[in-house]
Order: sequence, then C-alpha cells, then structure tokens
Amino acid sequence: MKEKKPHRIFGILQRSPKEKWKKEEFTEIEYEPKPVKEILTEMKDISELIIDLAYSAVIFNNLDMGEEVKYLDVRMDKLNYDIRMMAMMAARTKEDAEQLAGILQVAEAAETISNAAGDIISLLAEEKTGPILPKILKQADEQIFRIKVSEKSNACDKTIGDLKIESETGMRIIAIRRGDCWIYNPGADSYIKSDDWIIVRGTEDGYKELNKFLHGKLEVLE
Amino acid sequence: MKDKTVEEVVLEIKDKSELMVDLAYSSIIYDNKNIAKEVYDLEDLVDDLYQAIQEKTLKLVQKKALSVNDALSVLRLAECGEKIADAAQEIADVELRDVELHPILKESIRESDVIFTRVKTKPESVLSGKTLGELKLASETGMMIIAMRHQNKWLYGPTKNTRIDPDDILFAKGPEDGAKHLEELADGTTNEI
Repeated sequence: MKEKKPHRIFGILQRSPKEKWKKEEFTEIEYEPKPVKEILTEMKDISELIIDLAYSAVIFNNLDMGEEVKYLDVRMDKLNYDIRMMAMMAARTKEDAEQLAGILQVAEAAETISNAAGDIISLLAEEKTGPILPKILKQADEQIFRIKVSEKSNACDKTIGDLKIESETGMRIIAIRRGDCWIYNPGADSYIKSDDWIIVRGTEDGYKELNKFLHGKLEVLE
Repeated sequence: MKDKTVEEVVLEIKDKSELMVDLAYSSIIYDNKNIAKEVYDLEDLVDDLYQAIQEKTLKLVQKKALSVNDALSVLRLAECGEKIADAAQEIADVELRDVELHPILKESIRESDVIFTRVKTKPESVLSGKTLGELKLASETGMMIIAMRHQNKWLYGPTKNTRIDPDDILFAKGPEDGAKHLEELADGTTNEI
C-alpha cells in the first residue's frame, strides 16, 4: 500500500476560485527541505492528469477545468524550482551530480508536458475556436466522457476504491463535479454521490458499462 | 500519410505522443534501452506527422474548405502534441545515456497513481493465443498494454488485432489492483478476466 502523502493537492473537494493560479504565480522561491522523491512523484502525477484535464476542458468547453489546468501549470513551475534546489543541496560527489542530472531532466520534461497542457487551454480562451476540436477529439480511441450519477445507482455513497471502477471498466476518473465544487484526480477514498458529474477517460466498451451502472441500470460492475 | 484526413493526423499525433510518454517512463523503470529507442523513432514519426498536418491544413484553407480559425485551432492542438512528444524524448534520453539511474527516479515513477507492470504470458494462461480485442483487457482489467516483446521482436502500441502468444512479455499500465489481476492472468493462476 502507498503511504499517505503529507501534502495533497489531489482528491480533495474544492471550489474553483477564479484565477487561483494568479496567487500562486511568481510566489517567492524559498528553500524548504522536501524529499526529491516526493517532488518528482507529484510532478509526474500532475503531468499525467493535466493533459487529460486540458483535453476534457476543450471537449466540454469548461472554464473551471481550464482554471485548474492553469493552477497546476503554475504549481509545476514552483515544483521545478524546488527540485532543482534539493538536487543542488544533495550533490556531494561527481557520481551524485551525474545521477541527479538525470532526475532534473525528467522533472524538466514533466514541466514541458504541463506547459503543453497550458497551451491547449489557451485554445479554450479564444472563443473563436468553435466546435472543431471537440468534434475531432471525440473520435479518439480512448475518449473522454461525462456521466451524471443517478440516485438509483449502487455507486452512491461508495468510494471509488470499493467500487474498483478503474479495474472493472478500465475507465479512469479524471474529475468529479459536485454542485459548484470539484474533485480533481479523485483517489481510492473519494466518495461518489448522487447527482455528481463524473469526467472519465477510457474506451467505448468501458463507458457503456459504467454508464449503465451509474444510471442504476446495472447492479454491480464485473 | 497522403490520404489521411486532417482529423486522423491530429488524433494520431495525440495518441502517439501519449504512448511515447508511457513508453518513456517504462524505459526508465525497467532500464530498457529498446523501449527508449522506440521513443526516439516515434518522435521522428510525430515530426513527420506534424509537417504533414501543416501542409494539409493550409491546402484546405486555400481551397476554402476550412476556415482560418479552425485551421489555427487544429494546428495549435497538433503543436501541443508535438511538444509532449519532445518531452517524452527528453525522458527517454536519460535512459539512453550511459549513466546509472538514480534509484529515486524509478521509485517516484513506481509510486505515482498509475502503475506500470511487466508480465510474461505462460503457455497455460488464458491470454495465450487470443487477440487484445477478444480479451478486452483494457475495459475488463483497466490495464492498457503499451508494448509487447515477442521473442526478439518488439511491438509498440498494439491494436485490437494484436495476438498474445505464449511467452510474450507484456508491458502495461493501469491501477494497482488491475496490475495484480493482469499478473495472475498471465501466470495462469486465474482464468477469470
């Protein structure tokens, strides 16, 4: 089992305050000891989520998700500074320097990916874009779907971990919208409630099954 | 590439770039230069696709079959995919250098939300001799196969028609419990998909 991360930015229910990212941008760089492994894991997790989130924002023309992408992009910049500082402090020998250079290279790549996601979002900002991109993205093999949870579904008030949604249907939950709050990258301990909107990624087959289950037309996932 | 539509090319860039990121991370976890080299080859392919889509889109605009704004949207989306492909190449680059990888690198990739796994298909496994389409592995176990090794041959980004043979080695990604399930299926400990 994974140990609990002391700092969590994922899997929490939050309102999307407008321009949260602006507060994070250009915050002071301050040295604070933090394990390199923890920073790199967070960077990798962000780099995976942020792309799906950016495409979802474009497909559903959703500004809230766009805002979250901007926030994660800005956070990534900060993490990139953090990891550089930690790496410099950790280097004692030539061998250390060589190995740490590899870590910084991967961190830099994760940052590039989040920048690309930020660029995808800028397509959303220009209202002229029109429906061509959603139309194209809906033809991908692995698609992004949106499902509303019915109160009749057995998924209500259960956790994602208990339901084993990903391993039973192959659908990965990118985000949950509950009223005007969001959970991004929900974890195994996140609950599903009736009337939630679930943003998922996966194949058409998996979608059909999950859709039935969340609409209460299927008792269990198997 | 000539007869592909703009839509097909931009989707191919998107799919390939995402596959490249997965392959790049797996190359580091399994210290595998073959996979890392494939990321380099795919990067060339994505470059070609990117050039092809630029030309195709401009031609459509010239013929007035596509509006300038739509063309720009498509090209910008393609550019993002190209950027992601570059990032994947940067990751694979670390593996191809003759420097011993820092253990933290593997650990942080292993500990993230998405798990990578490598399994060998035993002859008695229910997976042997079936295609990915028949097995529906992705929707039944949540595990997506990103690469396969068949004897000395490698296959990257397999499709529905790809058949799994006994002794094939599968590289997959997905959730933790899905990884366990796939390992049991490949081992032949369970036949229930």
